[in-house]
Amino acid sequence: MMTLGEVARRLRYLLWRDRYTAELEEEMRLHVELRAEQLRDTGTNPEVATYAARRRFGNPAHLQERSRDMWGMTWLEHAAADLRFAIRRLVHRPGFSLSALTVTALGIGATTAVFTAVDAAMLRPLPFLRPAELVTLTNVNIPFGEERDESDRTVGIDQVLKMPELFANAAAFAAGGLNLEDAEHPRRVNAGIVTATFFPTLGVMPERGRAFDVEEGRPNGPRAVILSDALWRSQFGGADVLGSTITLSGNRYRVVGVMPRGFGFPNGSDLWIPLSVPTTRETFRPFRGYLPSRVIARVAPSVSVDAASKRLLATWELAIGPREPGRRTNLDETVDEIRRVGAAVPLQQEIVGERRRGLLILMGATVLLLLIASANVANLLLSDGASRQREVALREVLGATRGRVVRQLLVESLVLALTGAVVGLVLAPAMLGTLRALMPGELAGTAPVHLDLRVLAFAIGLALVTGIAFGLWPAFGTSRVDPAQTIKSGGGGATASLGHARRLLIAGELALTVMLLVGAGLMLKSFRRLMAQDFGMNTAQVATLELTFANPVIAPASPPENRAAVRKQAMHVMLDRLTADPAVEAAGIVNDLPLRGGAGLGIFVTPDGMPPPKDAFARYLIASGGYFKALGIPILRGRTFTADDDDVGERVAIVSRTMATTFWPNVDAVGRTFHFGKDSTPYTVVGIVADVKDGDVAEEGRAQMYFALDERSPANIALVARGSLPPSELLSRLTNAVRFAAPRQAVFNARTMDDVVGNSVAPRRTNTLLISLFGVLALALSTFGVYAVVSYSVVRRRRELGIRSALGASRVDIVALVAREMAWVAGAGVGVGLVAAWALSRVVTSLLFDVTAHDAGTFALVPAALLVPALLATLVPTLRAVRASPTEVMRSE
Amino acid sequence: MLILRTLAAGGEQHGFEIAEAIERRSASVLQIEEGSLYPALQRMLIKGWVAGEWGRTAGNRRARYYHATAAGRKHLERELAAYERVSLAIGRVLRPA
Repeated sequence: MMTLGEVARRLRYLLWRDRYTAELEEEMRLHVELRAEQLRDTGTNPEVATYAARRRFGNPAHLQERSRDMWGMTWLEHAAADLRFAIRRLVHRPGFSLSALTVTALGIGATTAVFTAVDAAMLRPLPFLRPAELVTLTNVNIPFGEERDESDRTVGIDQVLKMPELFANAAAFAAGGLNLEDAEHPRRVNAGIVTATFFPTLGVMPERGRAFDVEEGRPNGPRAVILSDALWRSQFGGADVLGSTITLSGNRYRVVGVMPRGFGFPNGSDLWIPLSVPTTRETFRPFRGYLPSRVIARVAPSVSVDAASKRLLATWELAIGPREPGRRTNLDETVDEIRRVGAAVPLQQEIVGERRRGLLILMGATVLLLLIASANVANLLLSDGASRQREVALREVLGATRGRVVRQLLVESLVLALTGAVVGLVLAPAMLGTLRALMPGELAGTAPVHLDLRVLAFAIGLALVTGIAFGLWPAFGTSRVDPAQTIKSGGGGATASLGHARRLLIAGELALTVMLLVGAGLMLKSFRRLMAQDFGMNTAQVATLELTFANPVIAPASPPENRAAVRKQAMHVMLDRLTADPAVEAAGIVNDLPLRGGAGLGIFVTPDGMPPPKDAFARYLIASGGYFKALGIPILRGRTFTADDDDVGERVAIVSRTMATTFWPNVDAVGRTFHFGKDSTPYTVVGIVADVKDGDVAEEGRAQMYFALDERSPANIALVARGSLPPSELLSRLTNAVRFAAPRQAVFNARTMDDVVGNSVAPRRTNTLLISLFGVLALALSTFGVYAVVSYSVVRRRRELGIRSALGASRVDIVALVAREMAWVAGAGVGVGLVAAWALSRVVTSLLFDVTAHDAGTFALVPAALLVPALLATLVPTLRAVRASPTEVMRSE
Repeated sequence: MLILRTLAAGGEQHGFEIAEAIERRSASVLQIEEGSLYPALQRMLIKGWVAGEWGRTAGNRRARYYHATAAGRKHLERELAAYERVSLAIGRVLRPA
């Protein structure tokens, strides 16, 4: 404990430091003089007396230092001095500083950027009221239609709302797209379709106006809309819009509220419309008839998520009743899934879902990279330290304590690390754009990936930790010198233990690099295989755009059956205009573009005259005759649709190869008939086309069936055109065709087909790309590390090698000597790395496609890819060293 | 403690005198580096156990004369008591049974 008087004395010392120092010096001088006088008085020779007095007194500089240390404020002065000294030293050696800085910046920049994404997705709480209370309810549904089906034994949101002891509130939501039509420029907007309880459950209320009321939450209730702050500002200029109406995909909605800035849940919604409980067919009509929805709830204040989950599961088991042995129903599957994932899962955990693993693996890869970078800098500091031994020895002789020297060296590595962090922070945003692809879509606009104070704190913390970690070891190594020895030998006599440390660092670095490279190799191979699959289409030179027909625009106030006719008419105008264009090779229309996201609609199909297959669902698609050519889907047998295939003549369909072989095994499907749904009309198969990848590129081919566009005139379509024009040209032909047929029609997702595919594999590609990039960086860093160590060691052993060469060792002998030593280190590092990679690669299994985690090719290739550069990095400096003539070397010592 | 004891007994002394006194008292058994007296004195100055004033030596040279303060004497008493307890205990353990 410091008393008040003591603090005052210390402060006084700090203020008049120079005076106190002078006084102390005077005291000490007097002491030595008095002692010398005393000795002289006893008859000692004056010179000897002075010398003896000094010897008895000790090292005055050292004692002064210790005295000043007693005052305890010295650390501040020392820190400032150390900082100045460190910066001066770094500036004077730009080569060393730049390499160390680059390596540190890379490591810290990459780690910070990846941390930003992990933080946004998983660590930062969702921006809702007490987000820890929010859960997703697995398999809970929204009842459909006015009355609940007696036979329906599933648990619905209506029942959850009657459990206040468990859940304070519950809501359902879905995400879709709508056309905002009466604005100056019709545009596509992201719509959240939410129950009236949605905003109260999340605990976020509109900034202006109100949330949906009970009436608006009922089936066929008043149409109301709540706008996001961003849409309100961009589209309505922030004017007073409450009470006015807007048109969304042909329906008029009254604006009742505007949400606070930054709220865009789910999927970056621009606006929200009500989802009624129970829900009606009408609700999902603008969204191709179906949208996946999710039920969330807020657990009651005194209930834990775990307890709520257990009790909800009990409700489920009660609802399905006793099981019939030996018979499994859909309901059993439902409850099994609930048991597996939990009846109530924390919202954030559930949303991040499978993205979690990808992000964590990437974080792991970054940490490996950071470790490699740190080892590299430690190595640089070690060799730097070795060349500084003379300086350090001199300072210790002049009275610096070892702690003081260590501290000074540490300040230097901290300055390096912190500067690296600053550069890294500047570099990190460049990576953020890429990382967005790894974020869950539902969190778009809700958990933005950006640098903030948390990330800044993380980067600085990281810099401090790495700075101390990679600085401490070299600092201790460097400060452990025997001054007399070092100064005498001229600084050449580095101790053996330093060599040891460096070898260990290099081996460790190589081991980590092997792990990263194995990961990168597996991901690359798997991604190549993924993309090398037969997609069932040729996406090059294809452009596409999507649209949802806006009825009032093209056919105001016409009855539904006329609407279909009007749509059909418009589609024909578009297609005719495109095919008339000589630059367009082929054009077509489909209701649902492959790989655009979403699982699509599966329909239960019954083949006529055949037993139905085990999985009798087929994907429901509607296409024009030109679609297959436009998208490059090979027609394997039969024909495509013609102008005769409409809603008047015989009903026909085209099926995919998988559908043909599963529904009509061992027979020719062409000419066979099938029917589906309540409709008993038989459909005749007229053609078989290739399986097209549609849901996810990693999925196996599914049964797909195409119906003629002229028979079914869908409201949601994608227009597809093939042509050798530049993509932007082709896209403008598409837009023009739409504008020609329906001038006020909004279009969206105008892009090339390659973009559609690219988008669907974006998370995989990003993960692969980044891990490969880290692998390459790791390879470069460790090669550089080997090079630095070997260069250093041959310089250090110049004399020894010179003697060997003078004694008759050939150059080959000497190179072999150095290479053998390095081979041991590299071999050990690579070996350990391979074992670790073998043990760890199982972690990435879920990210792999068609490649096992222990892929032999990758495990064989990686050591080669690493050892060749390592060998070169060994040979180059060694050869340079042996080329010097031995006499020259010996003379220079 | 040695310094405090010396000062508590002998009034005001400067560094060299303290060193001499300690050496005399210990009958040259305790041979320390004489200079280490000064960091110790600085420490006691901070703690407030001793105070120093500049004066003149017999040879008319400027020197800082130290004396023990009240706090210093109290501290010395505490230290001596503690030391006696320990040395008594050691004595008991070592005394032949």
